[in-house]
Amino acid sequence: MSAPASRPGRPRLVDPALAARVPGLRRAAGVALLLGAVSALVVVVQAVALAHVVARSLLDHVTLWSLLPWLVVVGLALILRAVVHAVGNLAAGGAADGVVARLRRDLLRHALALGPGWLSGERPGELSLTATRGLRALHVYYGQYLPQAAAAAVVPALLLVWVATQDWLSLVVVIALVVAIPLTMVYFGREATRRSQRQWRRLGSLAGHFLGLVEGLATLRAFGREEQGRREVAAATEGVRAATVRTLRVAFLSALAMDMIAGFGVGFVAMVVGLRLLWGQLDLQTAMAVLLVAPEIFIPLRRAGAEFHASTEGQAAAARILGVLDTAGPAGSAPVPADADAGSASASATASATGSATASATNSATNSAALEVDRLSVAYPHRELPALRSVTFHAPAGARVALTGPSGAGKSTVLAALLRFVEPEAGTLRVGRRDAEEESAESWRRHFSWLPQRPHLFQASIAENLRLGAPRATDPELHRILAAVGLAKLVAALPEGLATALGHDGLTLSAGERQRVGLARALLRPAPILLLDEPTASLDPPTVAELAPAIEPWLEGRTVVVASHAPVLLGRFDAVIALPVATLPAVSIP
Amino acid sequence: MSSRRSLRRVLADPATPRARLAGAGLLGLASAAATIGLLAGSGYVVGRAALRPGLGALVGILATVEVLAFLRGPLRYAERLVGHDAALRALTRWRVWLYDCLTPRVPAALAGWRSGDLLARAIDDVDALQDLYLRTLLPVSVAAGAAAIATVAVGLVTPWASLTLGLPLAVALTVPALLTWRRSGDDEIAAVGGEIAARVVDLLTGAPELLAFGADAAALAGIEAAAARADALERRHARLATGAGVVIQLCLAVAVTATLALGVAAVHDHRIGQVMVAVLPLAALAAFETVPGVPIAVARALAVRGAADRLFALEDVAVPVHDPEAPAARSPGVPEVAFCGASIRYGPGLPRALDGVTLQLPAGGRVAVTGSSGAGKTSLVHALLRFWPLEEGTLTLAGTDVERLSGRSVRTAFALADQHARLFAGTVRTNLLLVRPDATEEDLLEVLRSARLDRWVDSLPAGLDTPVGEDGIAVSGGERRRLAVARALLAPGDVVVLDEPTSGLDAALADEVIDGVLAAAGRRSVLVITHRPGEAARCDATVALEGGRVVSSSSAPRTTP
Repeated sequence: MSAPASRPGRPRLVDPALAARVPGLRRAAGVALLLGAVSALVVVVQAVALAHVVARSLLDHVTLWSLLPWLVVVGLALILRAVVHAVGNLAAGGAADGVVARLRRDLLRHALALGPGWLSGERPGELSLTATRGLRALHVYYGQYLPQAAAAAVVPALLLVWVATQDWLSLVVVIALVVAIPLTMVYFGREATRRSQRQWRRLGSLAGHFLGLVEGLATLRAFGREEQGRREVAAATEGVRAATVRTLRVAFLSALAMDMIAGFGVGFVAMVVGLRLLWGQLDLQTAMAVLLVAPEIFIPLRRAGAEFHASTEGQAAAARILGVLDTAGPAGSAPVPADADAGSASASATASATGSATASATNSATNSAALEVDRLSVAYPHRELPALRSVTFHAPAGARVALTGPSGAGKSTVLAALLRFVEPEAGTLRVGRRDAEEESAESWRRHFSWLPQRPHLFQASIAENLRLGAPRATDPELHRILAAVGLAKLVAALPEGLATALGHDGLTLSAGERQRVGLARALLRPAPILLLDEPTASLDPPTVAELAPAIEPWLEGRTVVVASHAPVLLGRFDAVIALPVATLPAVSIP
Repeated sequence: MSSRRSLRRVLADPATPRARLAGAGLLGLASAAATIGLLAGSGYVVGRAALRPGLGALVGILATVEVLAFLRGPLRYAERLVGHDAALRALTRWRVWLYDCLTPRVPAALAGWRSGDLLARAIDDVDALQDLYLRTLLPVSVAAGAAAIATVAVGLVTPWASLTLGLPLAVALTVPALLTWRRSGDDEIAAVGGEIAARVVDLLTGAPELLAFGADAAALAGIEAAAARADALERRHARLATGAGVVIQLCLAVAVTATLALGVAAVHDHRIGQVMVAVLPLAALAAFETVPGVPIAVARALAVRGAADRLFALEDVAVPVHDPEAPAARSPGVPEVAFCGASIRYGPGLPRALDGVTLQLPAGGRVAVTGSSGAGKTSLVHALLRFWPLEEGTLTLAGTDVERLSGRSVRTAFALADQHARLFAGTVRTNLLLVRPDATEEDLLEVLRSARLDRWVDSLPAGLDTPVGEDGIAVSGGERRRLAVARALLAPGDVVVLDEPTSGLDAALADEVIDGVLAAAGRRSVLVITHRPGEAARCDATVALEGGRVVSSSSAPRTTP
């Protein structure tokens, strides 16, 4: 059934690009078509048997007994139709389950593989809608629309062939009506679109007005104007009703046309076969069978037409999903962190390593490791200037390095490159003696723990959020780290303590508290190198003064890189690496 | 779950547009009857024609058949229009109900509603109620009515046919519907669906951390496990729906075969005219046309029930502040506002959001309140406007305890510009007039001048009549904030409460705005919640809050700017 992929707008049963990705989809479509053919056959058998019974009884007044075999055929054919229908439904549902599960996994995996840069901005919201609503629409498409579309493709054609073998005049009548379907659909469809677009806009604004009034209810109440708001709610909804009914008057016209065509399909065929019977041009059995088959030609078309909305929605969802899956990997779409701008630095710091690493407070194997960044350059696509130009620094195991510079100098870009969120244009990264290129991104990232500028807290308990990078941390360890970052009191006051849920339906934390949870999480992860991006941005100086000595036990022996406009948080740094803003082309801004 | 009898409550509501729904039902029934007539009539035409009676004998019935063929479409069209109209009329009632239900509970009792998600869900839920009329009540009534008509009609041909058609019809109408109605798992599917959506958003927004911490595989596995659970539940429902369809088809097979057999036997015995053997099976087939929609309609009712349950649960959220039975009258004039040892707690087990606050705002005074986020500033506003009651202590207006006043009369003493102040769909003018409908053009221009918005308004394409809000021009955060301030200045309230009125503005403009506002307030009192020391310095007194307590309180002579 699948027409060439290169013809957009042409309805296809299975999107070839999708079929290439989801094994079994073509087979499911094939099963749907086959079942359609079987059901057409059963319709004919049922009609012929029923017509035979009617004809013999009506003309010859035969006994029930003599017609019993034919009656059994009628009954069996009707039961078989039920079975075919059920098998089709279950097969389509199973196929849809497979498609959706497969695409959900692929979509999310691929989105993660594309990396944080690609996922920045508006994308997460849009993408999660695709992964939830979009996939649901696709399930409806393959579970419900596909079998009906298959039936619409096969059943009318086969039944028309059969009618052609019975009575040519009936065939002419039915074909004329079937041809009228797409014509009226196009006419009414275009008319409906033209006439209703403005009304839908108005509807959208009225619906928005209701939402606005409810959202602003507190404001209305503060001014004692809740009565006026109430009147406006009623007026806006009444407006919605009037506009909707006006729109529906046009929108329902195509359904009306379909209903009338199907009605005339029966009425005209009855007239044609009735008159031909009267004039002796047809026998009763044929006439009756044609009359029984005629409505079955229109039913699948009507059903598929009614589900047309599901089909467009499903195809749109498939297109969006395939669009994501076809996006090339991270190398081709490098991310752009917030402060990414041109910058270049060539600083070398050889700091004294602070002796041998003592046992870390996290009690896990936190081996110290030297970090080497050699002539690192990062460029973002669509930007002329490199984000980083030849940055070099060396932090011996256990050293504390501050990465400073004005915003836009590329501090976060250095961290993103270290975490392999961006592909460097040039340069080498080394941890201990291992080169970044020798390791997979996943195993490379095990060397690092990270506090981003705006840490994301997951919709999970405080404990689960803290254990993100240290799944085996014990509750006492969590309490110790919370005490160090100054959150012990807050957590102790919560009725559920560490089990309290964060986010959406749970506890809302201030920016400073979030940063401290993020810091605790980063410290808890037993990785040898700690990357802290603006760790004090949301904290006031007294808090920082308390925090700095408290977290010392977790820093011992680790290599720490703090990216900030100034060396902050740590009492001492072994080296300060200043990233200057790149020498921009001579545009003087006073 | 169904203990609330939510659906019954929706249907029994006195504002239900019964006459219109009945009209839609009758139109739908007429359309279904036309379908039955059309098919049975067609059978009659063919059967009669086979006996070669001459054209004259066929003309009448042929014309009837064509008229029915023509009518059923328009009748169905009319049913859909009238039905939608009725459902939308009912929607008006339920939207107003939601508004009324929320009014005494916002903002404090439904604090979580600010996230927008819950609110959007409540609006979706209200809109879902119309499905109860359109997709449940009407299709079920029409299917049952059509079945009754067909049963009676075939009974007129031969009484036994009422049984051979009526019994299978009764089974097909009830058994699948009951199986669907009693299915479980709808709530769970909704819950798991919400969980999946939340986890997906979390995965995508938290991707950097997941990747950096090597926790991505576990997060993906969590989503897949939840999805597998949802799929299993939905598959069960899909199987049930398929089973319901099979039951209906089997009933159809029994009805058609049995009715046909009855016809054959009756013709043989000359109990009915032989033409009727062509009419009976077609009538039986037609009687089943609307039946498959019944279990689907019932499944829809289950979804509506979930929505209605959630909506009616809103009524269970306690109304925080009730008016006294015989409210005292508030004395006119600018009142002195005084908190004395006031405490607020939003729920048992939660810490106090305000803890023993004592604070005086004399008539005509200017007081600044400072403090970091979470210090209790919002709770102070909640207490002032009677959005939340005091647990301990008192709040008095001109010496009268607010407990003795109606909430409304307390609120009209204040004019609030809070951080969440909204612009409503409309123009700049309607947004200002909202708080004082009788304000003159001069009044409007004056408050806009005080908030330093006069030049901004002049720059707008249609000045005061420029649309703002959802469909209007883009208004920046700072402009929105200042419009809220202008609105507060225009409002008749004698105590102006400004919550961070100048955040988002540069220092020079912020100073201009605050000076303009303090001057415009005139003899009214002003309470400014602020971060900026400059604003506090312009007030008579500064109260610093921390953890719901007053940590410092200073009165200084006002530094005239």
